Amino acid sequence: MSMQIATSLDEVLAALAAGARPIAGGTDLVVGHRQGKAPLPESLVAIDRVPELAEIADGDPLRIGATVTHARLMTDQVVVDRLTAIADAAALVGSPSTRNVGTLGGNVMNGSPAMDTGAPLVVLGAEAELASADGIRTVGLDDLWTGPGRTSATAGELCTALVIPARPASSGSAYVRLEYRRAMEIAVVGAAASVTLDGDAVASVRVALTAVAPTIIEIDGLEGLTGRAIDDDLLAAVAEAASEQASPISDLRASDRYRRHTIGVMARRAVDAAARRAAGESISVPVNRALGIGAAA
Amino acid sequence: MTVTELPPFVRADGPDKVSGSGRYTADLTLTGMLHAAFRYPDVAHGRITRIDTSAAEAMPGVLAVMTDADVPDVHYTWAVADRTLFARDIVRFEGEVIAAVAAISPEIAKAAAAAIEVDIEPLPVVNDIEEALAEGAPLVHEDWASHTADDGIIRDGNLAIYSALQRGDADAAMASAATVVSSRYVADASHAAPIEPRAIVAQWEGEKVTIWTSTQVPYDARDGVCETLQLPASQVRIIVPHLGGGFGGKCGFHFEAHIAALARKAKRPVKLVFSRWEEFVAPDRRREGMIVELTTGLDADGRIVARKGWVGIDNGAYMADCAFFPQLAAMHVAGPYNIDHLSIDAKLAYTNHQPSGSVRAPTAPQGCWALESHTDELAAAAGLSPVEFRRRNLVDTGTTGPMGQTFDEIGALRVLEAAHAAAEGSGPLAENEALGLAVGWWPSFAVPAGAYAKMHGDGSVQLITGAQECGTGAVMTLRYLAAEELGIDVEKIQLVYQDTGAAPFGPGATGSQTLLNHGRAVETATRDIAEQLRELAAEQLEAAPGDIVLADGVASVAGTPTASIAIDELAGIAAGGNLLISSGTADVPEYPTLEGSHCVGDQGMAAWLAPQFSCHVAKVRVDRDTGVTRVLDVFAAHDNGTILNPIGAHGQVEGGILMGVGQALTEGTQYGDDGTQLNAGLLEYKLQTIADAPNIHTTFIEIPTANAGPKGSKGLAEAPNVATAAAIANGIAQVVGAHVTQLPMTAERVWDTANGTADQNGASA
Repeated sequence: MSMQIATSLDEVLAALAAGARPIAGGTDLVVGHRQGKAPLPESLVAIDRVPELAEIADGDPLRIGATVTHARLMTDQVVVDRLTAIADAAALVGSPSTRNVGTLGGNVMNGSPAMDTGAPLVVLGAEAELASADGIRTVGLDDLWTGPGRTSATAGELCTALVIPARPASSGSAYVRLEYRRAMEIAVVGAAASVTLDGDAVASVRVALTAVAPTIIEIDGLEGLTGRAIDDDLLAAVAEAASEQASPISDLRASDRYRRHTIGVMARRAVDAAARRAAGESISVPVNRALGIGAAA
Repeated sequence: MTVTELPPFVRADGPDKVSGSGRYTADLTLTGMLHAAFRYPDVAHGRITRIDTSAAEAMPGVLAVMTDADVPDVHYTWAVADRTLFARDIVRFEGEVIAAVAAISPEIAKAAAAAIEVDIEPLPVVNDIEEALAEGAPLVHEDWASHTADDGIIRDGNLAIYSALQRGDADAAMASAATVVSSRYVADASHAAPIEPRAIVAQWEGEKVTIWTSTQVPYDARDGVCETLQLPASQVRIIVPHLGGGFGGKCGFHFEAHIAALARKAKRPVKLVFSRWEEFVAPDRRREGMIVELTTGLDADGRIVARKGWVGIDNGAYMADCAFFPQLAAMHVAGPYNIDHLSIDAKLAYTNHQPSGSVRAPTAPQGCWALESHTDELAAAAGLSPVEFRRRNLVDTGTTGPMGQTFDEIGALRVLEAAHAAAEGSGPLAENEALGLAVGWWPSFAVPAGAYAKMHGDGSVQLITGAQECGTGAVMTLRYLAAEELGIDVEKIQLVYQDTGAAPFGPGATGSQTLLNHGRAVETATRDIAEQLRELAAEQLEAAPGDIVLADGVASVAGTPTASIAIDELAGIAAGGNLLISSGTADVPEYPTLEGSHCVGDQGMAAWLAPQFSCHVAKVRVDRDTGVTRVLDVFAAHDNGTILNPIGAHGQVEGGILMGVGQALTEGTQYGDDGTQLNAGLLEYKLQTIADAPNIHTTFIEIPTANAGPKGSKGLAEAPNVATAAAIANGIAQVVGAHVTQLPMTAERVWDTANGTADQNGASA
């Protein structure tokens, strides 16, 4: 096999056009190979030394480069202040060593329904920027993820950034997940929420769910909550909607019955934390630790 | 009371291990070395109808392929000889070795192993303890009656070993009880999961083979090679480089003979390094699954009047070292309580699972978890607090335990009070928090061990011991015992161990006995050298040998400190004449006698030498909406006799507790209907991480214990692993209002218990 170390986006795109596959942190690709899931591609192009892929740009929209690592996401001030759910999620990924090399673009393009950064990106309205030798396009995440481990990107396309609309005032977001231990864990279920308040009332609320369907899914029908106060009734409605719309499986980590229940718990807690952040309360990253989600404080 | 006499010390192998300069078995490379791979069946039970190795043998780079036909016809193992090195006709678990390949690279070896054609006709899988023992169950060993077995072993078909404890008249006493409580608890199998998957390198020189291997018990590994390859002990040398943890999983003999046989056939050195999957499925040492049913009767004051019990234990497909497990499990569910009327049946069952074996305190964490959960149920039924109930029923100094052993001074009640007081003093509990308490016990094992000692001409010393460092650091203590006997600085003493070609026999790192047995051998050997030094000094100083004092590197005459000579100088004199060399063995202490009890199928576990007692109190917080439990603090009190090295002792307790947290909450093997492990990897078999570690507060109740280890010490390595899961269980039960009846107490099982839906989660009825 061969591996090229690229230092510019043009080099990367030329290599992809020639049949190479991209590698950044390698935390999915190399581990998957060692576990016998898939052999390493014959030709790889390393994208971790391309400067423009590693930038976080404030503005409208906000732009997070694909090779920004989880370690940076969980501490970057722009992300922590305005895209807090992404920081919550990044802080829970793997272990310190995974977070130091694993990237946002890698997490998104791996297409796992258990990815931690996926649900936060959905509730924040992110789109993926895909570049190829033929040009650049942006694609909504619901169009990007087509099934477990599958995306609509072509082999010649590289995810270069996640693009996120600027956040309205009085907005907050959060990501919580059910975990059985505090490191080296994969989401049993998880939920992200974004809440914008108008005074004490909900101006908008979005909730997306991790590991309860073939892809990350967004809960439908929350528009009806607009104008209501964040109270137990509203949170119960969110939990019920999440449990209803989930289509979880039974596997080694949990039964479908338990997942269907706990996804409601996670959704309720995510909305609660997001709303409190929207109201100006400082809840440190990640919410799982700050609020003792899963008894974890 | 603190009776510690040695200076606290940090273990000497730390820098090597932390810096990466330490060499492990997998780091070894020999000239011409080949790589081994094993071929396993794809099923847990089946009849081999054809093996064709020709395609594998024809592959370029393959130098040897072996099957059962290539090794001596020997059935081996401890107690019941039910096993051959390579599967013969029948495969009985998924990790059984059918064939082995040696090739010039690991990749070629693996490909060649896969290229061996094996046809297996599936047989019914025995996947469960009760299923195995049921009338008409398919037999795991149809030919079980033809296996040779040790005297006194009771067995029948899938019933691999039967033991029973009897004392008094349990039925009559139960009938008179004011209150009777019955419980059933089921523990999943679990794993030792050392960080280093095992590795072996074998090299022949003429008729002699040297085997570097990651074993905790070098002499067992040697004996296994000798037995299965029919070699004299003098031709087999076992050397253990640094060992990356064992936790019992690397006790005994495993694959050393396979690799030695491959190396002989290939006429090259051969190396085996296990994958993590192999480390999960192939070794015959995993913690046994267990079912415990207990019925206990109480009098009106909450005192135990009778206990009846049944224990079923999953032996897996072959006998590893489980012969004593039924008896030991029965003792653990009888517990350290005053019970005059007792009847407990314990059955070890063959299944088509990986063989079970001595993982840290075998049978104890599960047995203690079941017993102490049951004990909290008893306390509630009696209207007593958990601590008060135990005060009324625990054994202590001078009382007679369930097996009829009358105890010398022990700290059972003192550890109970110490842990309870520490926990109660730790501040108020928040919502959904509770303190769960459990008491555990564990024996000390006294067996023969030897040591050599030599003092060189420069006054430095080598201790040559059969002890094995397995991660505990206990061997480091041997140097301090020697330094004290010789009156010299500990830095002058080097250990030579991990080599059966050099060291005298020793039981290795198993059964918490490094200090207990090897320590006594080292004391004896170095005392002999000290005696020789006194005689030499007496000649030089014109005094009587009995008046010579060895201290601070100097031999001096008692009462006349000016009459002295440096020990280094004495060593130099000896180097020109009678060399300072010696050997020592440990006199095996006498085990206590028993009265008034009867043990069916006795495997020597009935009387406990220097029993160790512990009490753990776990402060838990349960997320009621999800069942996720976090252990915030563990307050531990231990009676392990005299503590010689507090740093090492605290480390042992902390490690044992963290392992116990994993067993309590997340570590359990899941089996498919086909009898194969579904979570044989570190992603789905969830060990605790350091981020999950509770705060651990340890108190040692130091009771210098006669008839035990050096300076009144007992064992220590296994005892801290006994009571933790039980303490956590009792904490969870207080929060959710009922006991979780399956181990591990996963979040889903806790949630189901809290909601009264435990029957929906696949719990055995």
